[in-house]
Amino acid sequence: MPNWPLLRLRHPPDARDSPRATVETVRTVRRLAAVCPLAAAAGLAPEQTLAEARAICPGLIVLDAAPAADRAALASLAAWAERYTPLAAPDPPDGLILDITGCEHLFGGEVALAADLAARLERFALPHRLAIAGTPAAAWALARAVAPSGPVTRIRPGTEAAALAALPIALLRLDARMVAGLRRLGLRSIGELARQSRSGLAARFGPLPTLRLDHAFGRAEEPIAWPRLPQPWEARRAFAEPIGTPDDLARTLDQLTTDLCDRLAAGERGATSLVATFIRLDGAHPAIAVATALPSHDPQRLARLLREKLPAIDPGFGIDAAILAAETTAPLRPPQSSLGPLSLETTPPLAATIDTLANRLGPAALWRPAPCDSHIPERAATRLPPLAKAPAWELDPSAERPIRLFHRPEPIEATALVPDEPPIQFRWRGALHRVRAATGPERIAAEWWRRTPDDSQPETNRIRDYYRVEDSAGARFWLFRIGLDGTPRWFLHGLFG
Amino acid sequence: MPAPIPSTPVAVLRARLAALHPRVARGVWRFGDARVDDCLPGGGLPLGVLHEIAAGGIEAETGAVAAGFLACLLAGLAPRGEIFWIAPMTDLHPPGLLPYGFDPARLVQVQTGDDTETLATLETVLRSGSAAAAIGETGRLGRIPARRLQLACLKYGTTGFVLRRWPYGRHAAGEDPTAAVTRWDIAPAPSATIDHDPGPARWRVGLVHARGGIEGSWIMESTASGDPHAPHPLRVVAELAAAPAAAPARRAG
Repeated sequence: MPNWPLLRLRHPPDARDSPRATVETVRTVRRLAAVCPLAAAAGLAPEQTLAEARAICPGLIVLDAAPAADRAALASLAAWAERYTPLAAPDPPDGLILDITGCEHLFGGEVALAADLAARLERFALPHRLAIAGTPAAAWALARAVAPSGPVTRIRPGTEAAALAALPIALLRLDARMVAGLRRLGLRSIGELARQSRSGLAARFGPLPTLRLDHAFGRAEEPIAWPRLPQPWEARRAFAEPIGTPDDLARTLDQLTTDLCDRLAAGERGATSLVATFIRLDGAHPAIAVATALPSHDPQRLARLLREKLPAIDPGFGIDAAILAAETTAPLRPPQSSLGPLSLETTPPLAATIDTLANRLGPAALWRPAPCDSHIPERAATRLPPLAKAPAWELDPSAERPIRLFHRPEPIEATALVPDEPPIQFRWRGALHRVRAATGPERIAAEWWRRTPDDSQPETNRIRDYYRVEDSAGARFWLFRIGLDGTPRWFLHGLFG
Repeated sequence: MPAPIPSTPVAVLRARLAALHPRVARGVWRFGDARVDDCLPGGGLPLGVLHEIAAGGIEAETGAVAAGFLACLLAGLAPRGEIFWIAPMTDLHPPGLLPYGFDPARLVQVQTGDDTETLATLETVLRSGSAAAAIGETGRLGRIPARRLQLACLKYGTTGFVLRRWPYGRHAAGEDPTAAVTRWDIAPAPSATIDHDPGPARWRVGLVHARGGIEGSWIMESTASGDPHAPHPLRVVAELAAAPAAAPARRAG
């Protein structure tokens, strides 16, 4: 796609008739980066200074170059192109690479696929050139060749050397200095370059020219950074016409889930996390993700989890394709048939409920409390995943704990007759409570091994004396006092039921 | 179905009303004391329905005594299976449940964002049938959400509890009528002190509303003391004089 930086910008119609260019600043010099065909016809070319360009073409509309935004737009176009193949990569600055091996028959052959792609790009008003070749480098060169032989250039694998022989060496993606150097030697076309001895080329220009030739002719594999590797467990569906109604989306999800679950069941695997990606007409690809606590390939259950999140998908102007991928899977054998009415410890409905809630509220919102080996009341309970094995709790009758524990102990005004005794009355949240019965103290010291030593505060300041008190109404409180050496301070840390 | 011929007009009406409510019989959980069980429809706390537990004053903010009483109930009426405790606040301290005979290992705690989410989550849990009982702490409970919860309870016979709690002191303007089968009002009561030490927890338990039963008020004491095989987690210490209503207001339902 020539002129991508200018094409990706939408312009009001009246601006389309004026020459446009983007400008970048290179070492304090403002230079043109990309020019539109109109500007090129007026005699402008990239790398001209802006002042010069303005002199040649006074009506030039100048836009700042934004390479990052260009790349992002290209990436979203590549994501859109995943409707054709799972392997679609942006090729900055202005190209896309699609690996259509094994996908073309879905569209009725390579030519039909290319025609479909061309028609859709036409609808986006994107001028483009397409080339199909056995190697990415050959396709790259053919798509950018000056005189394309038709709307789609297509060569058969193995014929790259013949097809590229007449093309200029600049199309091998060599840098300008190297191209100039080769040209000084009289080498202009790829065919001439290919006839040179490899060792001679390597000695003079380094490994790059021969490597590029090998890439183009399929003698060496060219690495391509695909933005998203296809998942081994994935189901996809591309639509002839974009869909958008919630019913259609739900039905698509059901079909994809059934497809994927059939394959998972055949492979004796279950999914533990699923991502459904919807590729929108405008290139955006909103996705919903769900996770399950236990691996599952039950299509109804997974579809229900996914459907619950479907309202988050904005179909925009329509959705072109949908992909459901199981990002993580785990082995899931069919359950052993039981001999008697023995039931498993974790009944499947519980896992389903937990999954529903975890996907709705977030995985951190559900937990099973487990005892923790610590005397610090705040640390006495930890959180396990809800389907974890039930931990063993033991009651310590000597250390009864409140049923409500405040995250932050609340300061209270307490009156104690003797420093070492429970208070006779205290004021909490504005109300006065007269103590009628109390037990204590239970002394709990800080876990000094958990923190770095701090000499500014004596260790005695971290010792809490806890009392269980009951007021005249019968309400029970868990109070503590700190400050063994100075003035005691009282706090309310919890309430008994 | 051959029904016994009702003799009195009241019995006729009651039978007709009972036929209007296709309630699945899930049994009852007896308090083990005739003074309480006689007030409840079917002679005990009905299982597989929605109950509402509230407290007044500062307890409406902290929900401590209501949680303690609820822990005793759960220890008795749902001795096995998972219990979901759904609340926006995370101040429930699992070790504090042990003295009431409730094993926190069966607990699944769910933190929600607000009352609406609590009610929706509670309904999901009740409707799934995978829990032995489910508790939702919420301040707001309208007539329609309560009705939905009650229907969700009936589907699989999961017992549901709504613990009314306003952690930030936002009291509802008035007591909204709800679809819960029973409504309890819990307040602390002075315990029997032993040598100036607090004794087992006691509550002033008010049965404010019971569909098909009568109201009552008692002092109950927790007897569980952490023993899972205790005969009964609650003991009725005394019956309190019924509230102003001179004649027990009998409601059929």
